[in-house]
Amino acid sequence: MKTMRTYLFGGFVFLLLAGGCSVYRQDLPMTSCGSAPVAVNPAYSRAAQVRQAMEQLNRAGVPGCAMAVYSAEGWWETAAGYAKIEDKTVLQTCHLQYLQSIAKLYMAVAVLKLAEQGKINLDEPITRYLPARYSRYVTDAGQVTVRMLLNHTSGIPEYNFAPAYVTRLLQHPDHLFSPEDYLKYIEGKPLTFKPGSRYSYRNTNYVLLALLTDALTGSHARYMTETIFTPLGLKQTFYRDQPGYLNYPNLVNSYWDRYSDGILENASRLQRNNVASLVGDDGIVATPADAVTFLRGLLEGKLLSAATLEQMKTWVKDGQGKPAYGLGLDYTTLGGEEAWGHSGGGIGAGCELYYFPRKNVYVFIGLNLGTVTDSPLHPEAVRARDQFYEAILK
Amino acid sequence: MKRTICFLLLGCGAALPLRGQPDRPRGYQNFPIIITAQFHALSMPFRDLKANFANIGLGLGTEVSLNGKHNWVQQLSLVWYRNKTVGNGLMAYTQTVWRPTVTGHFFTEVKAGIGYQLAFRPVDSFRPVNGGWASVGRKGKGMPAVPVGLSVGYDNPASRTAVSPFATYQLLLISGYNKSVPLVPQTLIQAGARIHPNYGR
Repeated sequence: MKTMRTYLFGGFVFLLLAGGCSVYRQDLPMTSCGSAPVAVNPAYSRAAQVRQAMEQLNRAGVPGCAMAVYSAEGWWETAAGYAKIEDKTVLQTCHLQYLQSIAKLYMAVAVLKLAEQGKINLDEPITRYLPARYSRYVTDAGQVTVRMLLNHTSGIPEYNFAPAYVTRLLQHPDHLFSPEDYLKYIEGKPLTFKPGSRYSYRNTNYVLLALLTDALTGSHARYMTETIFTPLGLKQTFYRDQPGYLNYPNLVNSYWDRYSDGILENASRLQRNNVASLVGDDGIVATPADAVTFLRGLLEGKLLSAATLEQMKTWVKDGQGKPAYGLGLDYTTLGGEEAWGHSGGGIGAGCELYYFPRKNVYVFIGLNLGTVTDSPLHPEAVRARDQFYEAILK
Repeated sequence: MKRTICFLLLGCGAALPLRGQPDRPRGYQNFPIIITAQFHALSMPFRDLKANFANIGLGLGTEVSLNGKHNWVQQLSLVWYRNKTVGNGLMAYTQTVWRPTVTGHFFTEVKAGIGYQLAFRPVDSFRPVNGGWASVGRKGKGMPAVPVGLSVGYDNPASRTAVSPFATYQLLLISGYNKSVPLVPQTLIQAGARIHPNYGR
């Protein structure tokens, strides 16, 4: 009997050790892609300086970065570094980048399209359009208007500040959240300020906009495709368009600095499944050129009327009284220049899509390095990013 | 999972051959051997309960009494756990334990202390070097930890068996995990036994 128990105990220890050595992979298979998506101007005057800044980003610890620019000189784009470090897949401009929160700008356009069609009134309470099964999670939902969701003045709490959400995300990288799951993290929490009284950026606002659009159109993703992607001919922009969404061989691998010590681990599964779950506030992937084509199409009036565009550029002020955000449109200063567009950050990616009105220049840059959690690699990367904008704008 | 739990329970049972068979009440002894099997999770306390039974580990420890009634003790533990999605880890900690008897031979424990966790990465990782990338394997990071736990157990000093089984729920607050998330909660569900060898009595 004693021998039997010894064997069983040994078996248990073996199982434990064998389990500890089992192979776990975060990296995703990916391929090189074909030719460049747009015809670039080979004589672009800033090419050398931009390439230098991109290489500086790589030296700063960014695995890969890709960009596209549209200016008076026409199109130009380039990429530097790796789409996947493990097998040294070189990053190309035809690789798909995570747009992260830039998706909010697409979501806002879809909602404003509904407003133009008379299907939604921006100043009505969200309870008029949002099914009760979702609005019940929002405290005082009747005081919040659609416009307050669009310009982040609702005061609705942030779902991804909930520690239970963050720990679940990290412990279960393959878990797919439903939109309702996100709302459960704010259930019963009071509004953090009186609706409409001030600006505070919250992802939850755009989850609610997606659900509200679902209720009005049947599917916000399909509506977005019909009203944005198709009219602009965005063939390399994807959003919840297939079962097993985000299973694209030309989607970049993603990296993050888990312990803030300058060491990067592949977080592609975590990143892909996280982004595949997100609605309204995130979830779109695109090539750099497609992202720029979208912003051009929007600001050149191909998607919305001039009056609606003016509403988008009605900036709410931040705590310092500076313009901060319109309707889905972020107001910022980059390279010393006023810029309109949006930025995005995730566990394994970061990006910026901006229009510089004084220079009439559109720029997208995407990195496959997580930017939402701190890393000692970031300060040098920020300096290289500043050089990048300087090269494009000066 | 069922198979894992079976092995775990059998593993605890396998400790029984270590028991002594005293012909008089054994009383309390310093430096018992504390063996634990456990489940680790990166989780808020009492949330995500399914995850709390997914990542198994082993622990070894001992304790000394701090008073004559032996209801205050100081424990020292070393735990290794596997957690394939957030990375395996090794943890050493010491806890001051208050162990009141509830009824009969059943006791509870409230414990708190400090420790150090060496947490590894779940996958091979890279460090940027002169514009290239050098593999550093699953290189870990050491972090201070504050373990706080509640236990229930059974101990009959008058019995012939020298094994006191117990179950513990521990919340670990790990400091310095990431600068943006400075305090990370983790949990350990432990099932184990305090084994009282006959140290030459």
